[in-house]
Amino acid sequence: MTTLDHAVIRRKAKLWDRLYPYFSVLLPILVIGLFTIYPVLYAVRISFYQYILTKPKVHPFVGLANYIEVVTSYYFRNSLINTAVYTVAAVIGITLFGLGVALLLNSKIRSANALRVIILLPWAIPAVVGGLIWKWILNSDFGILNGILYAAGFIKEYIPFLANPNLAKLSLIMAAIWKEGPLAAIFFLAGLQLIPNELYEAAKIDGGGGWKIFRHVTLPLLKPIILIVVIYETITAILVFDLIYVMTGGGPGDATSMISWFAYAEIFKNLNLGHGVALAVIIALIILALILAYLRIIKYEEVVG
Amino acid sequence: MEGSSIWKKLLVLLVLASFIIGCQPPAQPTPEAQPPAVEETQPPSEAKPVELTFVTWSYGVETIADNIKKFQERYPNITVTHKDYSWLEYHDTMVAAFAAENYPDLVYGSDHWLQEWASAGWLVPIEDYCPDVKEYSAELAPYALEGMTYEGKVYGLSYYADTIDFVYNEALLKKAGFDKAPETWDDVYTMAKALKEQGLQYPIIMAWSQKEGAFPEAWTSMVFSQHEGHHALFDADLKPTFNKEGSAAYQIMEWLVKVYNEGLFNPASLTTAEIDQVKAMQAGQAAFTIFPQYNMAEVNKPGSGEYAGQFKIALMPGKSHATVGYVRFYAMTPGVVNKGPEYIDAACKFLHYFGGKTDGQYLVVKRWAVENGLGFAQLPLYQDPDVIAAFSSWGDVPTIEQQAKLARSKEGLTTWYGAWDIFARAEIHKAILGETPIVDALNNMANKWLELAQ
Repeated sequence: MTTLDHAVIRRKAKLWDRLYPYFSVLLPILVIGLFTIYPVLYAVRISFYQYILTKPKVHPFVGLANYIEVVTSYYFRNSLINTAVYTVAAVIGITLFGLGVALLLNSKIRSANALRVIILLPWAIPAVVGGLIWKWILNSDFGILNGILYAAGFIKEYIPFLANPNLAKLSLIMAAIWKEGPLAAIFFLAGLQLIPNELYEAAKIDGGGGWKIFRHVTLPLLKPIILIVVIYETITAILVFDLIYVMTGGGPGDATSMISWFAYAEIFKNLNLGHGVALAVIIALIILALILAYLRIIKYEEVVG
Repeated sequence: MEGSSIWKKLLVLLVLASFIIGCQPPAQPTPEAQPPAVEETQPPSEAKPVELTFVTWSYGVETIADNIKKFQERYPNITVTHKDYSWLEYHDTMVAAFAAENYPDLVYGSDHWLQEWASAGWLVPIEDYCPDVKEYSAELAPYALEGMTYEGKVYGLSYYADTIDFVYNEALLKKAGFDKAPETWDDVYTMAKALKEQGLQYPIIMAWSQKEGAFPEAWTSMVFSQHEGHHALFDADLKPTFNKEGSAAYQIMEWLVKVYNEGLFNPASLTTAEIDQVKAMQAGQAAFTIFPQYNMAEVNKPGSGEYAGQFKIALMPGKSHATVGYVRFYAMTPGVVNKGPEYIDAACKFLHYFGGKTDGQYLVVKRWAVENGLGFAQLPLYQDPDVIAAFSSWGDVPTIEQQAKLARSKEGLTTWYGAWDIFARAEIHKAILGETPIVDALNNMANKWLELAQ
């Protein structure tokens, strides 16, 4: 083999080495481009046009009109307030429920192993099925919750939970805690099991009681997990749709109309795709802001840690 | 770094390419196919196999399947694939399919969606493709024909047509000392109050879940009944007239708020669907309700409960006793037209069989009436002995006829009626719950109407 042949082979190998990384990521980039970037850009584009489904041939450019119309409407403000109330209550509830259950499962109670599996069940059930289960539990004629409360003498007549604006909101929050709580519990349990026993033993030797140990040992070490749970559940709560769809349909009145439901209603009830997509873009921006905040917090935690 | 700069270039290229694609003009819908000449709709000499898709809401699916089976036996070259969706989800499911131009061939339609669907080009006028369907028009109840007509063209053949009726439990009323039906909304209030005092927790129940399509029809019936003549909701120029203090709509809203606040109106009504409403009536949980007439066969079905046979129709209480008459119908989509003459011919045969006459008889319509108690638009069926016998088993035929004569189609059936009707449901809820003053709720409904009209 001549020196020239070697040089050609080396040049080809060098070229291949340089190109290989690009070839290997080409397919994922194409997939992401086709199924994520393109639809997002297309949706953003639609949001600048009047797009009424009953007028399939007329799509004039309207600039920011869709955004202005939805943002200035009473229904946007109402759904935003509903979403904020629901999100705050659901995230607090899920976090407390998850933490409580995780502490219970991390204890030495005999049934902890079996409970670990059972507790995950609501999370494994599809949200639509979970919503139907809760709709039946809360039914004002034959719901088991009414039955129990009535039998125990707490109520004199059955309560129409889903027909009362405040109770309907509360019912949705309860269903969300039931549905999402188990996942939070598993996160917390994983975090608890990573805390070295020596820390607890040292705290006990120093005379720490249950609450003090929890306050000064467990809680600080669980902080990253709490952050993950809070951010994840906030995003899930803002995007809630299936529970509303099944349980309340946004009612009574517009008491449980959240922002994602509002977007759905604009598209499928008002048949205004432009409005609906503008709302979807706004929701995406809110979620994006939350993700960025989450990434910054994680980065800060890493640096401080 | 060179590598990093190539990466950046690639990314920029990708984003630019996506943006360029994303910014291209939206795909234009295919031009509407022109109606074929009449001779093209004639059956071809050698019948080619044709597969039609037929989408309905989930009611009487076994009967539908049997009707399809009989139709296929009659026309062996035509195969019909049936798909059904819940009534509560039907509109949204169909809109999603239509918007994606994923047309089934034949669908159930309704008068309150016709303008919306026809103006969008999601349905085609059947009289352009099956010219002989116009011959049925003379035999149809005017409100039903109106409900299937858009811009002067007939878009469907009636699956069933019914009135929204006021129904009471005669046994409960007699027990409370009332021996005749209420004639006004004040009568209903007085009777409900007496029934409540005697232990009936909520004498009035409605199926007014926001997903329930019959909710606005029931509310509109109440408004019609409290109004003399036409224009109870809109004037001749389609301007709202209901948002004035003292209007029939205002009076009805006042009445609803009163019965709600006094615990006469089951608050669960705001989340109740029709099936639960029927069950609550059968169980004697309420004495008064408003529902589509076809439910009478179910509530009075022998053996269906303690009160079977005790449910009676009264003329809609109020000043005029008017009510809403509505029609649901078989409709054809552009999907059939795009597939060509064989499909058009098969679809026309289907429409004639299901909504028209076969061997001189309204076979399928009559079957629904006799077996399920569904009302009909085809007036000659009122003289049919089988229909009279069937209807007599659950209702008082003279009252049914009298109410049918007082029925009229919903006012304001426009392309935006469907969107407005959904919006109105939430406003009616808020007024009943006391979250919004009645006038504000009615004004919101009027403003939304004007906004949609623009």
